[in-house]
Amino acid sequence: MQKEIALEVKDLVIRYRCLKSFSLKASLFRLAKGDQKIFEAVRGVSFSVPKGEILGIVGKNGSGKSTMLRAIAGIFSADEGTIDLHGNSVSLLSIGVGFQETLTGRENIILSGMLLGFSEQQVREKMDEIIEFANLGEFIDMPVKTYSSGMHSKLAFSITAILESDIILIDEVLSVGDSKFKKKSYNKMKELIDKEDRTVIIVSHVAETLQKLCNRILWLHDGQIRMIGDTGEVLAAYEEFMS
Amino acid sequence: MWKRFQTDVKKYINYANYSARSDLKAEVASSYLNWLWWILDPLLFMMVYTFIAVTIFQSRIEYFPIFVFIGLTLWNFFNKTIQGNVKLIRNNRNIVSKVYIPKYILVLQRTFVNAFKMFISLALVLVMMLVYRVPVSYRVIYLVPVLIVLFLLTFGISCLVTHFGVFVDDLYNVMQVVLRLLFYMSGIFYSIEKRLEEPLKSVLLNVNPMAFLIQCARQCLLYRETPSPVVLLLWGLIAFGTCVLGIHVIYKYENSYVKIM
Repeated sequence: MQKEIALEVKDLVIRYRCLKSFSLKASLFRLAKGDQKIFEAVRGVSFSVPKGEILGIVGKNGSGKSTMLRAIAGIFSADEGTIDLHGNSVSLLSIGVGFQETLTGRENIILSGMLLGFSEQQVREKMDEIIEFANLGEFIDMPVKTYSSGMHSKLAFSITAILESDIILIDEVLSVGDSKFKKKSYNKMKELIDKEDRTVIIVSHVAETLQKLCNRILWLHDGQIRMIGDTGEVLAAYEEFMS
Repeated sequence: MWKRFQTDVKKYINYANYSARSDLKAEVASSYLNWLWWILDPLLFMMVYTFIAVTIFQSRIEYFPIFVFIGLTLWNFFNKTIQGNVKLIRNNRNIVSKVYIPKYILVLQRTFVNAFKMFISLALVLVMMLVYRVPVSYRVIYLVPVLIVLFLLTFGISCLVTHFGVFVDDLYNVMQVVLRLLFYMSGIFYSIEKRLEEPLKSVLLNVNPMAFLIQCARQCLLYRETPSPVVLLLWGLIAFGTCVLGIHVIYKYENSYVKIM
């Protein structure tokens, strides 16, 4: 059975030019040299994800995992190659989604929802569900700057989990929050995954979580695909490589 | 670009709106005196400049306090918006690095916030006009095009400043000096028309948009005169051009902003 493709990445290359920001004074001295170092974080990666699949991504630190997720989320575009979302909405869930520190949790829910492409009305309808899931008590009406980092990510997770976009990208978020919330978010992930049409990409270092959740694993090494395939197989090879 | 701009604005305008309102609300909530400062700030500075101008320079201008107040109102909007936007992307790295948003929407949000404060200040101008019994004519409506041009100009320049602010660390210091110079050249607490000699006078009034716009606002509010429609239209076109350029630049380079921070 041929499944519908939700996401297609083709020959993706992302470079960080070392054109850091400069101060006028520094640039006067450095202008003469003018050598630019180019660092390729992702080097020619191609893969496609069928609708409803849970894809895990593993790899050591600095192998381009987060960079690739951000590119898929549209935060920056590819230097070469293409990312085709086939018209699906996408949201990136990573530690501390873009909150405005001085505003309350409630207002931030609406703002984040709007940034994810929902209307104010749609977010308001889901508001109670989000607040209940985040379980922040009276903190929901306090400015976000008063939150602890755990509360931060609880709220962030709740927003993206309840406001359902077609593709969810998760960047090492399942390991935050207290153990109760961890359990809850894990169950929520399970629930999302059980829905047929949800596509999820998870970056994680916790083999156990990936083992339980994912259909397939992609192993990224130095910006290139080292291995892609069945969860058990890739994880075993990866574990062996890392030890 | 036009098409992309249209769909993006449609998609994100509500965000800019809601976020601007929340910002204002948060400002009020954080301290009870805060919203009072929206009024107190121009009011107190008006007193300072009136004192200096009247006692030291013996200035004799009709309705001088209102004259200064109008200048300060427009100037504060322009000045605060541009200064706030120099470090805009850096200050919003939370959002910028987590989700895609056309960066000029953030600029627009800041502009909305300051525009709202400007309107409060303008309301105070009306109150002062009543107190001083300034005779008004239908020409007051010319304030509308003046404010539109001011808004476009401020937004356009802010977009450009936002863009360069990402790449140039010390742009903030540079802008402070430039804005200060512009402040003194905009005739906020003196009349360019009466104080300055000929070549400089026309150059300032026609080449410095702030000097021109502030003069226009005073003409139609205080002195029942009609602002020069040709120059106003010209500045309107330039302001529009700046907006187009600013949005174009941001579209072209916004991808690399996150990588640089």
